[in-house]
Amino acid sequence: MTKRKPPPKINADTKAFWDGCRERELRFQKCEDCGHLRHPPAFLCPHCLSSRTVMVKASGRGRVYSYAVYHVAFDPAFQEDLPYIVALVDLEEGPRIVSNLVGCDPGAAACGMAVEVAWDDGEEGLCLPKFRPAGA
Amino acid sequence: MHAVGVLEAGLCNYVLLSYGHCGRSGDSMMRMLAGLNAEDAVFGHFGATGGYALAARRAMHEFRTGPETWKRIAVGQRKWANLNPRAMMCHRPMTDEDYDRSPWVVEPFRLADNCLLTDGGRACIITTRERARDLRHPPVVIMGLGMCNPAADPAPASHLAGPTGARRAGEMALRMAGIARDDIDACEIYDCFTYTVEITLQDYGFFGPGEGLDWLQGGTIEPGGSLPVNTSGGLLSEAYFMGLTPLTEGVMQLMGRCGERQLGPKTGNKTPEIIMCSDNGGILQTHSCYILTKG
Ligand SMILES: [Zn+2]
Repeated sequence: MTKRKPPPKINADTKAFWDGCRERELRFQKCEDCGHLRHPPAFLCPHCLSSRTVMVKASGRGRVYSYAVYHVAFDPAFQEDLPYIVALVDLEEGPRIVSNLVGCDPGAAACGMAVEVAWDDGEEGLCLPKFRPAGA
Repeated sequence: MHAVGVLEAGLCNYVLLSYGHCGRSGDSMMRMLAGLNAEDAVFGHFGATGGYALAARRAMHEFRTGPETWKRIAVGQRKWANLNPRAMMCHRPMTDEDYDRSPWVVEPFRLADNCLLTDGGRACIITTRERARDLRHPPVVIMGLGMCNPAADPAPASHLAGPTGARRAGEMALRMAGIARDDIDACEIYDCFTYTVEITLQDYGFFGPGEGLDWLQGGTIEPGGSLPVNTSGGLLSEAYFMGLTPLTEGVMQLMGRCGERQLGPKTGNKTPEIIMCSDNGGILQTHSCYILTKG
């Protein structure tokens, strides 16, 4: 039997982000005072400390800032995925997100490569925003 | 740094810094590390190795570094451990080929780039100069301190490839000590990963970005080298006692208590007067630097 993967940590701060994912939309917090887009979600704007926030929808396009190729499953649930790529993706709107690079050979991954969101159906109607090489 | 504060304020006379852990036989260290980025576990991102691997990969993109550079650090530090009977890796030499054959953990890191898990502990007592004079052992003096904690959350940090907090912390410590970088005889660097040693020495200014590989050639940090680094074997090859591994080694070197690995005629190095040490936390999120000298 395969072990279940850890679910996302959903709390008052992150709920809006994961609600968006259910509808296959990448939604980020935007500060209503200074316009800064932030991720991970937080109660206050890290730039101006304002708590006035709106959610904005991102295009899903971005570039790989960095990536790491896992050859060891720190959680046995990921054993069957080895080797897999964890990537930091800079979205064109600004926020940086931790995710996976999928549909890409580890040897072909590169910092700066253009990527787009690739929705991965998770459990209980939850969709995980992963990324694949743009136009693939 | 807090110890110095409470001593200066006269709140206490002696401060004991200690660390003890069954990191190897127990599972608490692995659980703590896996919990470091619990928010990202949904994407299979766990622990310190993954976080530092992201920083190291970005560094490979921004300047010339990679396994060839880190090999010089892993192999170099192992030579020190081979002189240290307390080191976990005392009887395990490491050749360049051993490093190349070491399995990937989270690429670009091989197993040989990762520090150890250790059962054991270390302790160090800090007091005022006046009190230290009356004690049995020759004291070691803190000449300078610096601290810089640039990022609360590693992922959105804009400069994952540096400069890390080491840049400002190092400058602060040198200024307080009133010395130049060239006055430093040895370094004891917090080395959770080989790359941490490179980025710390680079941010301290011992070499420019991407010049580490050239700087490390010819055994610079090894016994007999021009700047010995991690002379116990460090966290990579001696034992993992967090920041206490570099701290206690720096102190013991200046006290002359290091046996076969004692810097001086035995190792072909200058007998040290000044040693620069580091500690860092999170994924390069916090950094402390301190400079020690003979009392
Ligand atoms: Zn704001």
